[in-house]
Amino acid sequence: MIQNLPWLFLLLPLVVAAIDWVCFSKRPCVAATLSLLSAAATFALCVAYLLGLETGTPGTYTWMPASVEQLNLHLGLVMDPLAMRMMLVVTGIGLLVHLFSLGYMKGDSSNLSRYFAGLSIFMFSMTCIVMASNLVMTFIGWEMVGFSSYLLIGHWFHKDSAADAAKKAFITNRVGDFGFLIGILLTLGIFGTMNFAEMGGKAAGIAPAMLTVTIICLFCGAVGKSAQFPLHVWLPDAMEGPTPVSALIHAATMVAAGVYMLVRLQVSMGTAAFTDTACMVIATVGAITAVLAAIIATQQDDIKRVLAYSTLSQLGYMVMAVGLLAGEAAMFHLYTHAWFKALLFLGAGAIIICCHHEQDIWKMGGLAKRMPLTVLCFLMGTFALIAIPGFSGFFSKEAILDAALAKCPVFFWVGAGVAALTTFYMVRLCIVAFLGRARDHWAEHAKEAGATMLLPLLVLAVMAIISGYGFIADWLVPFEGFHAHGFSVGLPFYVSMGALVIGLFLAVAIYGFGKRGNDPLAGNFISRALRNRLYIDTLYDKVLIGGIQEMFSHVVEFIDAACIRGLLAQGLAWITTRIGILLSWIQNGSLRSYTVAAGLGVVILVYILAFQL
Amino acid sequence: MNIESTISATYNWCQFTPAFALVGLAALLLMADTFLPKVPKRLYAFIGAAGAFLAAYFMAKAPHFNTFGFLACFSTGLCLLLAFDYKAISCASIGGEGNEEGTGEFYALPLVACAGILCLTQAKDLIMLFVSLEVITLTSYVLTGYFRRNQGSIEAGIKYLVLGALSTGLLVFGAAWYFGMSGSFSLDTDVIASALRGGVAGTATVAVGFLMAVALLFAGAFFKVGAAPMHVWIPDVYQGAPTPTTAWLAVASKTAGFAMLCALVVPFVPLAIPGTNLGNIFICTFSLVAAATLLIGNLGALRQNNAKRLLGYSSIGQAGFIMVFFLNLNGALEFLVSQYLLAYTLATVGAFYAIAMVRTQRGSEEIAAFRGLGKSNPRTAFLITVCMASLAGVPLTMGFLVKMYSFIALVGAVQYTSCLYWLLGIMIICAAAGFYYYFKMIRAMYWDKAQPEDKPLCVPVSTGIVLSLCTLALIILGTLPLLVSFQ
Repeated sequence: MIQNLPWLFLLLPLVVAAIDWVCFSKRPCVAATLSLLSAAATFALCVAYLLGLETGTPGTYTWMPASVEQLNLHLGLVMDPLAMRMMLVVTGIGLLVHLFSLGYMKGDSSNLSRYFAGLSIFMFSMTCIVMASNLVMTFIGWEMVGFSSYLLIGHWFHKDSAADAAKKAFITNRVGDFGFLIGILLTLGIFGTMNFAEMGGKAAGIAPAMLTVTIICLFCGAVGKSAQFPLHVWLPDAMEGPTPVSALIHAATMVAAGVYMLVRLQVSMGTAAFTDTACMVIATVGAITAVLAAIIATQQDDIKRVLAYSTLSQLGYMVMAVGLLAGEAAMFHLYTHAWFKALLFLGAGAIIICCHHEQDIWKMGGLAKRMPLTVLCFLMGTFALIAIPGFSGFFSKEAILDAALAKCPVFFWVGAGVAALTTFYMVRLCIVAFLGRARDHWAEHAKEAGATMLLPLLVLAVMAIISGYGFIADWLVPFEGFHAHGFSVGLPFYVSMGALVIGLFLAVAIYGFGKRGNDPLAGNFISRALRNRLYIDTLYDKVLIGGIQEMFSHVVEFIDAACIRGLLAQGLAWITTRIGILLSWIQNGSLRSYTVAAGLGVVILVYILAFQL
Repeated sequence: MNIESTISATYNWCQFTPAFALVGLAALLLMADTFLPKVPKRLYAFIGAAGAFLAAYFMAKAPHFNTFGFLACFSTGLCLLLAFDYKAISCASIGGEGNEEGTGEFYALPLVACAGILCLTQAKDLIMLFVSLEVITLTSYVLTGYFRRNQGSIEAGIKYLVLGALSTGLLVFGAAWYFGMSGSFSLDTDVIASALRGGVAGTATVAVGFLMAVALLFAGAFFKVGAAPMHVWIPDVYQGAPTPTTAWLAVASKTAGFAMLCALVVPFVPLAIPGTNLGNIFICTFSLVAAATLLIGNLGALRQNNAKRLLGYSSIGQAGFIMVFFLNLNGALEFLVSQYLLAYTLATVGAFYAIAMVRTQRGSEEIAAFRGLGKSNPRTAFLITVCMASLAGVPLTMGFLVKMYSFIALVGAVQYTSCLYWLLGIMIICAAAGFYYYFKMIRAMYWDKAQPEDKPLCVPVSTGIVLSLCTLALIILGTLPLLVSFQ
């Protein structure tokens, strides 16, 4: 038992990132090894804590003192099951992604030290969110994951699309973070504390309207980070980053941080703080995202974009569950989703590498014969995602549907519809990419991925199958006292089976036969709308950025130029510079004037101190 | 009263062990300088630095942690290491350039001065205070005018001598009045309290005379610290003195000044309670001194182009921020002042290492001489940037944290005297001005184009190590709360 050992979770990746960046920027092998070791060490530490081999507790420190005790900023870590098991997901997938990256980035001409330093700084930031004991630390981690996500999406920054995507992700997140910051300040105002441990039970005495506003402001942060409608636009573009990054950050961990944060608040404030209105808003936003993303996913051609929209849709499920006050189900789905979605992304990464960075599914085909092991793993992930009974995703999706049926049947039917769509687009992806004949030169010569890529795939495939069963879920699901409830055959089961069969049938009927040169559904205006993401991005570009922002920026520009720059900045600068000239003129080098000045000063000093009694 | 018995009653010889050790080492070095002419003189700097660091280590291990003494030893060691790299010292040789004869004492004298600071930090009466202060001052005169062939150095030495004599005169005058009014040299709260009550006779005149004595003593301390109105020597002396000496004056000598000011002020803490008459007078005095120091240092720095002169004004300006701590007299005073001094020392020493490096390789101390370092020496430029950012008070460096403590101290004082908000305004303006002039150097490094004749700097090993460690310490102490926790 070592006191303060848990701080290693934070310090190790941070220090490694700094060392990678400062000392080994020219030696990618060393940098990669260091990052891998730090991920392995934090994972081992996490396992040690979960098994109870290590019990050292972290101290709490005052980081920034303030003149009022209440406003002091503290640094502390929470070590409850919610945090520690979430850490297991983060470090576990993090470790596998580090390993996968070794194979994936081999032969890449970009600076790999920068890449691994970025991964390490992401591990630090994510840990900061997960283990934060107060909202300020959460916010710091929140911004830091945004920053590391910016670095990693824009890793190939010489490509314009990657640089733009990185910028888009960062700026879109800023919109949500603005609300989050207001929410944090409101929390401080009405709860009188930012520490999670001190929030419990205080919600009862607060006006419901105030609570609603606070919760919705905090939810804004989750809308940005977890890419919920209407701020979902950044996530599909973020696929410009290297695929392991997409697996780690944009599928398994960072985008789930919004859900984690909401559940953390629900646990510490108590569900009483989540008023009906706030819950309704949260659940509706989640449901809209789930439906919208699933519909758009049916007409995407890029393998990573299909998965990206699927992630959006699944995140919508989780947020909906939070809104239905079923934090347990949300965390369950977060946890199974992390494993199988990381598997799908890494599998896609292996396929992309073997097809020489070809991502269009219509140019693949026949991969099942050429890389059977990778495709098998990918199928395991697919089965978990479309919730075939026995796979992990089935259990967690049932949990959410059960909760929805109990609370508000509308959301249950929405969830069931989304499940049918999910089956449809995933089966479409698998049929087109894996079956039939290769339709492209690269796909013809694809070979099985290397060992560093296959090993993570196999581990994740195992997790995608077994992680939903009670004997392992009770141990690992990030929720205090989680218990996988007994599975019973009832309405939810029949409905989701129906959804599965409908999706499967439609996909096989449309894509199962023929030559698969292009999408038989393409060409009409619905398909065009879906391919253009329902014109939401265009709307933002034209109306928000082109119209309102342009107009607004002229007004701000005027205020800035006239008042702030003209009067305040230059005026103040002018005055201070004049005083400065005067003062340096007094300091003219003449010893006699120095002595006079000092003497006069002392006389004044003596007068003030002695002759005022 | 027998002076010997007074001394043995107040002090204990053991507490001066580090000082004796440093003086002994200095004497050894001077002897070696005379009798071993073949040994390269730079070696003495290394030995001296090692001795100073050793002393600092033992001070840190001691049961009663003497913060100011530790800081003084630590910064003296750093300045001696700087002298180790500073080849221009041989210019001072009597045998002409390239000859090292007669330069040995440059490395031995800082050790003597450091011993003086150690004694000063232990002082409990005015005699010890005065004697140890003179040890520091006299050695600094020699070190300042050390470049005998350099007009700037000579001029700086003369100015320092004359103004230093003025301050010493005021100090002695104050000490005489102190003894006259209280009948004792002891800096004890009881002695002070009785003198403030008017002594044995209880006359108000005695109290006034006593406070005048205290004002004069403060003036002596302000001289070392570089606070208004005794700051006048700083820009010229800093600019003219050899760079290692300037660094020493900026950090170690300033530490001595604050140790002395604390020694003078701490006995007043139980008496100058906010709200009482004396408390109000103290707040009034220190707020005016702090405001004047802040304005002179920070606004005067705006127009400077010489890096050493800029750091001179910076030293005044930072002293102004430290003076704000004296508005809030409580038990945390020495802790806060030494924290601020630590942050200031780390960043300033780093800056002086950079200046010395640029001076020896580009032959100029102008800020413009830093041009293009961001391209040619990106890592060094980054380290200098962190040092400057810390001086300016950028978050996540220690400079930010201590500057925030200074603002918190002011807010604490405002609770008692709400008319102090004007000082808050001045502090904000001065902190903003700091960003302007410290970033001048950063601007020169990253925005100014390198001239065709500029070569990348060759960073000496010790400079590289010290700069990296200072930067690392500034960042670690600024981000982690583990070491700097508020009492």
